[in-house]
Amino acid sequence: MVLEATMICVDNSEWMRNGDYSPNRFQAQADAVNLICGAKTQSNPENTVGVLTMAGKGVRVLVTPTSDLGKILACMHGLEIGGEMNLAAGIQVAQLALKHRQNKKQQQRIIVFVGSPVKYDKKALELIGRKLKKNSVALDIVSFGEEDEEKNEKLEALLAAVNNNDSSHIVHVPCGPSALSDVLISTPIFTGDGEGGSGFAAAAAASGYEFVDPNMDPELALALRVSMEEERARQEAAAKKAAEEVANQEKGEQQSTSQDTTMTDSVNLETSRPEKKIQDLTDDENALLQQALAMSMDDPSTKAAVQDIDMSDASADHDLQLALQLSVQEESAADQSNQTDVNKLLADQSFMSSILASLPGVDPNDPHVKDLLASMQNQSEQTKEEDKAPKEEEKK
Amino acid sequence: MSGESASVIPRNQVDLVEFVDWSSVECLNQSGTHSLPNALKQGYREDEGLHLESDADEQLLIYIPFNQVIKLHSIAIKGPEEEGPKTVKLFVNREHMGFSNVNDYPPSDTAIFSEDNLTGKTVVVKYVKFQNVRSLTIFIEENQSGSETTKVQKIILYGTTVETTDMKGLKKIEDH
Repeated sequence: MVLEATMICVDNSEWMRNGDYSPNRFQAQADAVNLICGAKTQSNPENTVGVLTMAGKGVRVLVTPTSDLGKILACMHGLEIGGEMNLAAGIQVAQLALKHRQNKKQQQRIIVFVGSPVKYDKKALELIGRKLKKNSVALDIVSFGEEDEEKNEKLEALLAAVNNNDSSHIVHVPCGPSALSDVLISTPIFTGDGEGGSGFAAAAAASGYEFVDPNMDPELALALRVSMEEERARQEAAAKKAAEEVANQEKGEQQSTSQDTTMTDSVNLETSRPEKKIQDLTDDENALLQQALAMSMDDPSTKAAVQDIDMSDASADHDLQLALQLSVQEESAADQSNQTDVNKLLADQSFMSSILASLPGVDPNDPHVKDLLASMQNQSEQTKEEDKAPKEEEKK
Repeated sequence: MSGESASVIPRNQVDLVEFVDWSSVECLNQSGTHSLPNALKQGYREDEGLHLESDADEQLLIYIPFNQVIKLHSIAIKGPEEEGPKTVKLFVNREHMGFSNVNDYPPSDTAIFSEDNLTGKTVVVKYVKFQNVRSLTIFIEENQSGSETTKVQKIILYGTTVETTDMKGLKKIEDH
């Protein structure tokens, strides 16, 4: 949602009478302009947009940068076609209009529609481009209508001279079945370097917006979008923090990998639904709990599996290594070490409470679960006394 | 602009970097990777590897607002011998100048830097013109060797603050 002041330079020369874009080039251009104005004002309510025409009797500013969408749309109405486009003058007047914008904090941007052949030479255009760059003005070029090699070259040269960190773009729109505005929607000109405009574009194109049509209630849509982005950011931050906690605690490898997959799941999803995240956690933690139960009941096969995997993790953990050495020597000690691992896991208060809280089917007050946990804790009394008292209080 | 230079901080003057209003600082024609904080901010300006560089051509326009009124005494600029600034014009209290209108107003002071000054020696400005400074615009017009870009290692401003009223200190006079 960049704060921007935009000047749109419209080509209303005789070349716009051609009907190769439906209904005619000028109408297609006008639709595109309307769409862009809407997108800009929606992405940030403080954005301003102005419009000027480059052909006709001379370059004429129709409306100076304003955030009033109605005024902008009204001035597009009743424009006449005629004359020849003056690209250099148009861009320079646009630059002047932006210089005198009211809010100096806005970034400056010029969007120019080039539908007729360019009569200025490459050098002159490059000079203009450099001047724009020097005054930190970004330039978007929409090339359509008349196509020739020279025009493309000149416009590419102009773009290269202006471009600063990819803030300027050029789009070539060939004539064809799809309308000019539809082609523009998917370009960076609309999406504003890859951010908010896509919400508006989606709504305009396919009414894909979830709760509120931005056209009906733009403020509410804006508030919702901001809060969703904040929520997403918060979840990602929480996921990162949880991932750090996992790395810090002494755990078996399975636990950390399952947490990792959970974390990557929730981080990778662009629209991470909370239900899905809990779902992932539930599945993995069910497996964990199963395993814990199995281990506590002295199931030899599971014990062996845990032991094997624990060995690989041993290098990271001195205590674990010691415990495992004991387990290799004696069978009874093996029990102890597995129990110790499990106890370290289960004795971790925060982790346990989070698992138990999130599992839908497990009731922490269930006597069966309580007994199980109590037996765990008795074993861990020797190693972790400090955790015992708060644990028992919590379980009650 | 007097050619005298002092190699230490002038007496009673302070480094004005603490009074700079960072949120509104602007620099036109700076390169994206080599930007103004590299030359102005406390830690960065001492770093030899970081400098401010111009982008499209050799001119730079730096706008520095202050968060209170100051008097500017002298300025020290350090830059490389070839691409360091040569002609530097200072404008006082002019907001948001652009390259097109730098020549419309006479500068409050102009400094021609020699290679000697570029080692960071302070250059004293016309003190009388800088008594009531809210914002300073530094226009670097050309560099030493006429090369394509201008590089600036550090910019230090020395001066003093003007006693401004502390609104919190104002107390109501008791009625007897």
